[in-house]
Amino acid sequence: MTDPLLSVHGASKRFVGLLAVDDVSFDVGKGEMVSIIGPNGAGKTTLFNLLTGQLAPSSGEIRFRGEIVNRLGPHKRAQLGMGRTFQIAKPLIHLTVLENAMVGAFARLRALRQAEEKAMLVLEEVGLLDRTRRKAGELTLSERRRLEVARALAMDPELILLDEVMAGLNPSEVTRAIDLYRQLNARGLTFLVIEHNLKVVRAFAERVIVLDHGAMIAEGRAEEILSSPQVVEAYVGRRRT
Amino acid sequence: MAAKFVAGMALVLVPTLLALHNNYWLDIVTFTYLMAALAGAWNIIGGFGGQFSLGHGVFFGIGAYVTAILYTDAAVSPWLGLVPAIALATVVAVLISWPAFRLRGPFFAIATMAFNQVAFVLVNYLDWPTNGPRGILIPFRAGFANMIFLQRWRYAALMFAYLVLVTAVALLLRRDRLGYALLALREDEDAARAAGINVLAAKLQGMAISAALTAIGGGLFVMYIRFIDPPTVFTLSDVGVRFALLALIGGIGTLIGPILGAALIVPLENYLRGSLANAWPGADLVVLGIIMVLAALFLKRGIAGAATDLARALARWRR
Repeated sequence: MTDPLLSVHGASKRFVGLLAVDDVSFDVGKGEMVSIIGPNGAGKTTLFNLLTGQLAPSSGEIRFRGEIVNRLGPHKRAQLGMGRTFQIAKPLIHLTVLENAMVGAFARLRALRQAEEKAMLVLEEVGLLDRTRRKAGELTLSERRRLEVARALAMDPELILLDEVMAGLNPSEVTRAIDLYRQLNARGLTFLVIEHNLKVVRAFAERVIVLDHGAMIAEGRAEEILSSPQVVEAYVGRRRT
Repeated sequence: MAAKFVAGMALVLVPTLLALHNNYWLDIVTFTYLMAALAGAWNIIGGFGGQFSLGHGVFFGIGAYVTAILYTDAAVSPWLGLVPAIALATVVAVLISWPAFRLRGPFFAIATMAFNQVAFVLVNYLDWPTNGPRGILIPFRAGFANMIFLQRWRYAALMFAYLVLVTAVALLLRRDRLGYALLALREDEDAARAAGINVLAAKLQGMAISAALTAIGGGLFVMYIRFIDPPTVFTLSDVGVRFALLALIGGIGTLIGPILGAALIVPLENYLRGSLANAWPGADLVVLGIIMVLAALFLKRGIAGAATDLARALARWRR
């Protein structure tokens, strides 16, 4: 087997008196679509921040493309090929849609022309080609989220980390977003997704990791995990008998 | 883009030609160019990068003092004296910004303001080499090598060239990777990091470029007025804050904003000083203050922003 793209080994994060992430280990292989689920306060976002470099783990090891990235800041990890979105979308609101995507493209490219071409390409991919001259602040929520994905894509990443990208979208927008991610995945892009909406998880994740109280309580194929009693209990509570 | 730049700069040159034979007006035009360029230099870190520095008086002062001291004490031509002036200002800019960039928003502004005041006290205190509160007087010896001219229009031409330089640098930066990094981190530092931008490095580079250009302005300024003392270059309201104010009124973060701001405020200031201050000392500052308050209230994106909005509204109305 080839080395996994992302490998987490015994990662923990302790805040004063609180073990937010407790000895979590998992691998994400190239081309996979993995979802991290868990109830509120399960430590999903903290784990996510450990992966993106927002936080450093208290112990354990995070490897990306074979390299230990524990101490690397967010921008270094981004340069290594880790793209991400934010739970609350962070479009650069005073810049145009095109400029937003170009900011991402400049991670790999030097020349303005090349960055512009790359940006147009990814904007086409996410379906924002008709908005390029608009200010990002004028976009709808669903467009903003797609713009974030475009900015990440423009960096030519190997792994994309999505943080609750479906929150606040209506059903048709959700369907559209799922289609987009599947299409990108088919192109070889790896996804690690934090998602609350189990319907969404069912629709696109192949593998699911379940967190509860900071610890991994289950991992496996999506269909199995989502019907396992332990997961259902952690997620929606015990069935009354 | 290049054609637009040349056309714009040609337009900026028109007032010089109109005032060619009137030293009073020529002086105003010269100062307007200088202030426009300084506001433009500030705009690189303050506008593009969103780092609201009020300490640019430090770099301005360094440019002025290094040029003046080398010229009077060591007979170094100001043209050459600008080189160490730029170098020192850049080094100081990086050294004082490094810790200050840990602070965000108003706290960064206050920290940079403090640096300005420290510079004031330091220069005022030191007898050598700055000559303390007595300042430095530069004797009038006209000649190209001395950057001292008999004909006033030459100063206007010099300041115009400086404005062209600053605007060209800003234009190139705006279309460069670093420019995009500055815009991105101004909007959102976390998002910028996620896009692979080293936020601190980009800020430091932006500040270094901004400080270097500001130092040139200091050198040109001191050779024009041929006198320097601490209040001339370190008075916040006249220097450090003024650069920011002109850019703000014109349109912060735009290429044309600093030029528009200076074109409005500098001549207006001169006019008010001449017409009002005689009748009622201080009245000119009151009126100027009111104008600035009004600009802050109603021109949030400056003259440039208001013009864009107006153009859009007109286009919609025509349709």
